[in-house]
Amino acid sequence: MLEHFAANGPSVPLAAEPIFHVGPLAVTNSMLFGVITGVLVLVIFIIAARKSTLKPKSKFSFAIESLVEFLLNIAVENFSTRKQAYKHLPLLITLFTFILFANLSGLIPGVGTVVLATPDGQVPLLRAFTTDLNGTLALAVLTIVTVQFYAIKELGIVGHLKHYFTDKPWNPINLFIGLIEVMGEFIRILTLSMRLFGVIYAGEVLLHVIGEIAGNFGWAATTPVYLMEVFFSVIQAYLFVMLTTVYLSIATAHNSDSPEHEDYKDHSNATVKPATDVIK
Amino acid sequence: MQQIDPSLIKGLTIAIGAIGPALGVGLIGASAVQSIGRNPEVQGKVLSAAFIMAGLVDAVLAFVLLIVFTTS
Repeated sequence: MLEHFAANGPSVPLAAEPIFHVGPLAVTNSMLFGVITGVLVLVIFIIAARKSTLKPKSKFSFAIESLVEFLLNIAVENFSTRKQAYKHLPLLITLFTFILFANLSGLIPGVGTVVLATPDGQVPLLRAFTTDLNGTLALAVLTIVTVQFYAIKELGIVGHLKHYFTDKPWNPINLFIGLIEVMGEFIRILTLSMRLFGVIYAGEVLLHVIGEIAGNFGWAATTPVYLMEVFFSVIQAYLFVMLTTVYLSIATAHNSDSPEHEDYKDHSNATVKPATDVIK
Repeated sequence: MQQIDPSLIKGLTIAIGAIGPALGVGLIGASAVQSIGRNPEVQGKVLSAAFIMAGLVDAVLAFVLLIVFTTS
């Protein structure tokens, strides 16, 4: 069976294929579907925001509100102050919903099977955004650059560098550890992008391969894999947001000997408390 | 030297590559169940942490599948 794939190559090519050109820029199918996914997420949130009322009437907007609250709880648990959690919440919601929708969009029937005739042959018209390494790399770079930006804004450049090199940067061990930490930031970009891409792309290929091996019973054989892919899509979106939250909260944290929890008390409903407060 | 069948190598890649993630997921599940058994009130927190770790470990298997399916 595997010889068959060795002969034919992968059923889903590693790189996204261009479907048309705008000047020198090739627009690939994953870019096209990424834009469509983004617009869809926007539209869903706009509709939910319009319908949102104090006493929930529409089930749809209530579901979206529950999603936002779920992410808010994650943020409040991780950030030291509630104010900071609210500040970073929009980024987290955007990342979670967009990645989730992009992951799930690859499982819609028709995506990848509807082809377009181009000069280079038949090319799938749509392809999930996160099955393209360029897409996930862009998301990872966006995340890490945002983390760096907020870290510098919060602590200043010197304070931010102290996170890496401590107070005595010319101590050789501190310098060495600091350099490794700086390299770790680049490794974070790599791991964030490769994890999301690897899981979703491998799932896509796995569906194709299982379907081809099963032949006429592809519909039965792919169902468990399909459900597993839904599970992985949610887990990967959650993981991405979780890691973003952790990176942000570590990078924007002040030194532990100067706790600044005054603004936390104003908003506290005593229902959700950050874990750090309990420890102190 | 004799030519090796590429499908054998592919099978071995999946087989050997699955050992690590399988052990990892097993250990995560075992300790999650253990800690829930000890302290059932923290079930939600333990399960969410366990899912995060399972996601991190599963990425390794995903890389293996990625390499197997994309090389010919």
